Formats: sequence, structure tokens, C-alpha cells
Amino acid sequence: MAIVDEVREIIAQTLRVPVEQLTPDTRLDDIGAESLDVIEIVFELEEKFGISIPFNPEEGSSRRAAEEPNAAGDLAFQTIGEVASAVKTLVDAKQAS
Amino acid sequence: MNRVVVTGIGVVSPVGCRVDEFWSALVEARSGIGPISIIPTERLIARVAAQVLDFDPDAHFEPRQSNVMDRVAQFAVVAARSAVRDAQLAIGEELALDIATVIGTGVGGQNTQDSSYFRLYAQNAPKLHPFTIPRLMVNGAVSHVSMDLGLKGPTYSVATACASGTHAIGQAFHMLRSGQTPVAIAGGAEACITVGTLKGWEALRVLSADTCRPFSKTRSGLVLGEGAAVVVLETRERALARGARIYAELLGFGMSADAGDITAADPDGAARAMQAALRDARTNAEDVDYVNAHGTATTLNDRMETVALRKTFGASAERLAISSSKGVLGHSLGAAGALELAASAIALQTQIIPPTANYEEADPECDLDFVPNTARDAPLRTAMSNSFAFGGLNAALVLGRG
Repeated sequence: MAIVDEVREIIAQTLRVPVEQLTPDTRLDDIGAESLDVIEIVFELEEKFGISIPFNPEEGSSRRAAEEPNAAGDLAFQTIGEVASAVKTLVDAKQAS
Repeated sequence: MNRVVVTGIGVVSPVGCRVDEFWSALVEARSGIGPISIIPTERLIARVAAQVLDFDPDAHFEPRQSNVMDRVAQFAVVAARSAVRDAQLAIGEELALDIATVIGTGVGGQNTQDSSYFRLYAQNAPKLHPFTIPRLMVNGAVSHVSMDLGLKGPTYSVATACASGTHAIGQAFHMLRSGQTPVAIAGGAEACITVGTLKGWEALRVLSADTCRPFSKTRSGLVLGEGAAVVVLETRERALARGARIYAELLGFGMSADAGDITAADPDGAARAMQAALRDARTNAEDVDYVNAHGTATTLNDRMETVALRKTFGASAERLAISSSKGVLGHSLGAAGALELAASAIALQTQIIPPTANYEEADPECDLDFVPNTARDAPLRTAMSNSFAFGGLNAALVLGRG
């Protein structure tokens, strides 16, 4: 199964929405994902793929983002496609190491 | 209705276990946050906390007594003893029958729970220590305060997560006001620096990796703390009759629930608690000079609280001095509201506004006067202390000069 489909499955299960409704362009907030839901989705993805996703909603400050450009706050996490692409990057990095 | 005053304060805090040490750290914005040293940190991502390092159980308890107590109960008892001593309250046999004791705790004996389950699951221990249950039960702290001081009146614990201490003091205040009791021992305690608890908070992704910067644009999340604060509350009549020193008068208490999200607080709910406290105090919003904010330094809380303060105080929000004590004390959950009520009472007594520590940069979304880093002398008539708990449970206390 392609990563994006596994991501769709996990998000569908977490938010209890039919998986058919979810496309790479679906925005998480459009399907009712609140802050705690996003944190649960990140956790489920980490468990599923054996990765660590540097997502921290508290690390959005301009100062820290400038100091640590790869730090959590920059992670694009608005759409399912963006989530899948972040997961793919981390899975690839894990396999390469 | 009786008028109710604060005549004694006792603290066990990351910046000291004496009221003068506690207050000077708050005024000087000297943070008690530092690297975690009381538990192993190799499995933790966020390795800072506001720990109570200056606390030796053997200095306060016989081993036979402390052996039945979790750290949280030890904190509560030491703070309660200090408060009673500070109030110079003589507890005779008859008074003891009437004194109410109400202590707030978010979870209870977390150190006991953590170490017991570690023995059971990680070390495959066949059995647990026989005091496991009495140490971990959520009313352990209040029961030990009652036993230690011989208090036999209405006694119970309040568990409303981060608002527990505020709810506990508010409940005790209303018991005094209605004449149910002449004296109450009330406060909050928490000892939550355990590997299990920190991993739980870590999973919520709200912990800062370095420090707590309430209302600052550069805030990076909350930092857990631990400790206890207990106050002696008395009817004003009784306090005046015995010539007691009065820190402040408790004027009002308000509560509300968001009935919304389990973690994200709602500005309407928070504002309703503040408004209820003002109504209960028969005080106008314009007469409040200082608010000790919940101010956890999470993105959501600080923005939400700013909106709620504007909603409650309207135009007078602009001239209100607001500070969070959590840059100094961390967030000690069930103890936080009690420590902050203590700080608010001392602010009224000394007419000094303790600042918001670690404040770096103004945030357009938190655009009120948060008294950054430097204490201020100011004529203070009335103060408010806020607590907003996970689960959407809000509480606010209003105090006046004693």
C-alpha cells in the first residue's frame, strides 16, 4: 500500500470518517481535526511507521524557527498529502540510515 | 454572611519552602525551572521542570509517618503546618472539631503509582508494598493534613486538574462565608515529576524543552512544576478578635465549565468563571487592579486567556496589570492555583505586583500589560487569581486588601 493510502487509513480511523472521502488535497481542519486529533494522528503514524515526527505545536515561534530551520514548527501539516509527504521523507531517511 | 480573610500562608515551592523565599523569587522573577534531577531523564525529551529540591522528608517526619505518605501528601502537610504556624493559630480541641480542610490535587500519589507499576510490570515483582493504595489515593494529601494537625471538621479533596487548588480554596471560602465553619485550612498540592507522568505530558506535545515564557511571543509550551500551598482562612470577625495578621480578604469565587474540548480551553468559559467571581464578590471589573493569570505559556492558553480577559474586563483590560507566576514556579497542576492565590494575597498585602518571568517579546495576540520581568509598586485594591483546567473546568478567586 502506498504511504499516502496508509496515511488516509490512519486518519480515517482516528477521525472516524469514511476513507473514501479523504484525498491528498483534503485539509485536516476541514474534516474536523482539532489540536488533540492532530496529536493523536501523529502518534498513530509514528507507531505505524516506526518513525519520530518532529511535530510540536508549541514550537511555532519565529525566533526558534530561525535558529532551527528544520525544527518542528516548519513541518507542513495542513493536508493529507503534506502529512504523507512528511511521513515518506522520514521513512526514507530511516531506511537510508 | 461572614467576611473571610487569609491569616496564614504556607508553601512548599521550587523556589523555597518559606513564604519570604517564595515571594522574593516571584518579585525578582528568579525562575525555579532547571534540569530534572529527581528522576532518570534518559527517556525524556523535555528535561526541565520546576522541582522542589530543598525538601528532606526526614527533616519533617518520623519514618513511620512518612512511610505511609506519597511525596504529594508530604508537601501538603508541610505547607499546612507552615500556614498554621504563620497564622499563629492555636488549634484547641473544640476548634479542631469545626475546622474545615480542603486540599486540591490533580492526580494524587503519582510517585507511588509510577514506582509501584514499574516494580510490577518492569521488574516482575510478585507483589506490591502494602501501603500502595493509601499512598496513591487522591485524598491521601488531605487526609494526612487532617491527621497531622488533628482537624476533625468537614474534610475532602478536590480534583479538577490544573484548577484543583483554586476550587479547593473557593469551596472553603464559601463554607466560611455561610457560617459552616469558623476556620478553614485550604490549598493544593501536586508531586507529578515522574517518568510516567512526564511521558504522558510529552505525548500531548505541550511541554517546552527549555523554559516557560508566559504570554511572550517566544513561548514554547509549559514546564511542569511541583509543590504545595496552604492558606489559613478565618472569618474576619474571628481574625480581628484575636489580633491576627491579615494578608487579604477573600471577596468572591466563580466557577464554570466549557462543556467543549477536553484540552483546548474556551474563552467564553474562562470569562464566565471570572464574571461569576466578580458577581460573587459584588465587585465591578473596573475595580480590579491585578490579575494573576493562569498563563501556562502554551500557544492556546495564553491566546485564549487574553481574549477571555478582554471579554471580562472590557475597556478596563487596558489598564489592568496581569502576570503569570509560572515562569518562576512552572505549572504545578493541582498546586498551581493555591500557590498563585498565595502570591495574589501577598501582592495585596505588600502592594507589589510580581512580574511575568522569562518574558521576551510582545505577542500581538497577547496584547495586554503582562508586567514583563520587573516587579511594580502599585496601589492595589482588588486582585483576581485564575485557573483553567483540562476538561474545561474554570475557577477564579477575587481578593481585596485585608
